[in-house]
Amino acid sequence: MIELDRGFLDEMVEHGLAVFPNEACGLLAGKEDRPIKFFPMRNADASSDRFSLDPGEHLIVAREMDQEGWELLAIFHTHTHSGSYMSDTDLKHAPTWYYPEARYLVMSLLDRSDPLVKAFRVVDGIATEEELVIA
Amino acid sequence: MSLGFTEAQVQRYARHIILPGIGGEGQRKLLDSKVLCIGAGGLGSPAAMYMAAAGVGTLGILDFDKVDESNLQRQIIHSTADIGRPKVESATDRLRAINPTIDVVPYDTILTSDNAFEILEPWDVVVDGTDNFPVRYLVNDATQMLGKPLVYGSIYQFDGQATVFMPGQDAPCYRCLFPQPPPPGTVPSCAEGGVFGVLPGIVGSIQATEAIKLITGLGEPLIGKLLIFDALAMEFTTVKIRWDADCPVCGKEPTVTELIDYDWFCGLTPGQVPPEAEHGVSTTA
Repeated sequence: MIELDRGFLDEMVEHGLAVFPNEACGLLAGKEDRPIKFFPMRNADASSDRFSLDPGEHLIVAREMDQEGWELLAIFHTHTHSGSYMSDTDLKHAPTWYYPEARYLVMSLLDRSDPLVKAFRVVDGIATEEELVIA
Repeated sequence: MSLGFTEAQVQRYARHIILPGIGGEGQRKLLDSKVLCIGAGGLGSPAAMYMAAAGVGTLGILDFDKVDESNLQRQIIHSTADIGRPKVESATDRLRAINPTIDVVPYDTILTSDNAFEILEPWDVVVDGTDNFPVRYLVNDATQMLGKPLVYGSIYQFDGQATVFMPGQDAPCYRCLFPQPPPPGTVPSCAEGGVFGVLPGIVGSIQATEAIKLITGLGEPLIGKLLIFDALAMEFTTVKIRWDADCPVCGKEPTVTELIDYDWFCGLTPGQVPPEAEHGVSTTA
């Protein structure tokens, strides 16, 4: 289960809408499963159907997380033309190399006035939905 | 340990780590990779130096020759002070100077049918920097039989070629193009025909590029495509090359099923070390 304060969700929606129709992405960092900071990041693919974390930003964010002693809690991205699920493209290009145990937050912006976000864990290339509680 | 790299690694490889397409994942693949460069000559010089700089974690270099003054016009891994030293010794020093954090594995030997499998087996990718047909056929056959990708390069005077031979029926090998070596004495070597000094710098750098692409999975490698470079016209041409079902090594019914030591040119026999590179039988271009 992931618990997420509404403030983080609002930041994700804001980032998703800012780069629409391209997919948005970012990293959620925290400690002991408690989210502390959302890092909105540049989609290096600048694409509406796939994303990859900009590696330069990724390095900067990773350094900040190291310095603060934070862990990666989830990898966030939006789907601008489909629902909240881990697509084959997501599974193929997911940065699982860095974060083999990572959870993913996928936000559908099919209805931009009512974004729908779901959480998944990916193990051995298979995505399983997890409970997401917005506090 | 940002992204699993030490601070020193982040500093050294920062321009790769921030590069979309390579990033931290690609750099990690490079650090974990093992590439063998056959030849520490004209092609092997830039290929090995760029791969060392890029952080190919384990880099093998094979040559039996000694550095000759006539090599220095193009074999930039060696210096004037290295004349007379074994090429692998000189090359190893240079590679370790470029990047002391990688493992350099020197092979001061001639590749033969007796040692080829043993030498080639541990490596992920093999880069062919030879300039003679006996070793070129040996490396092709051995990499095909071992299922290892071979990054091929060759040069002659002002012209160069490069491609990637990936074992499997989707892509050709060297023997698909040239089933048998030419008769000894029919093809001039660098020493006999001369070679434009900067040419192996370009072709060897292309080989390093292809090796890095294979390791990182980046881009479209030159599999099934032969790149032809004309330095005088400054033209690059790519032609398609196809797998030959009748190929003696990788065809449907192979006739070459074990390694062959072809006669060295200029009358030398297998295993006989030529007295000087000028005689045209150096392992390296």
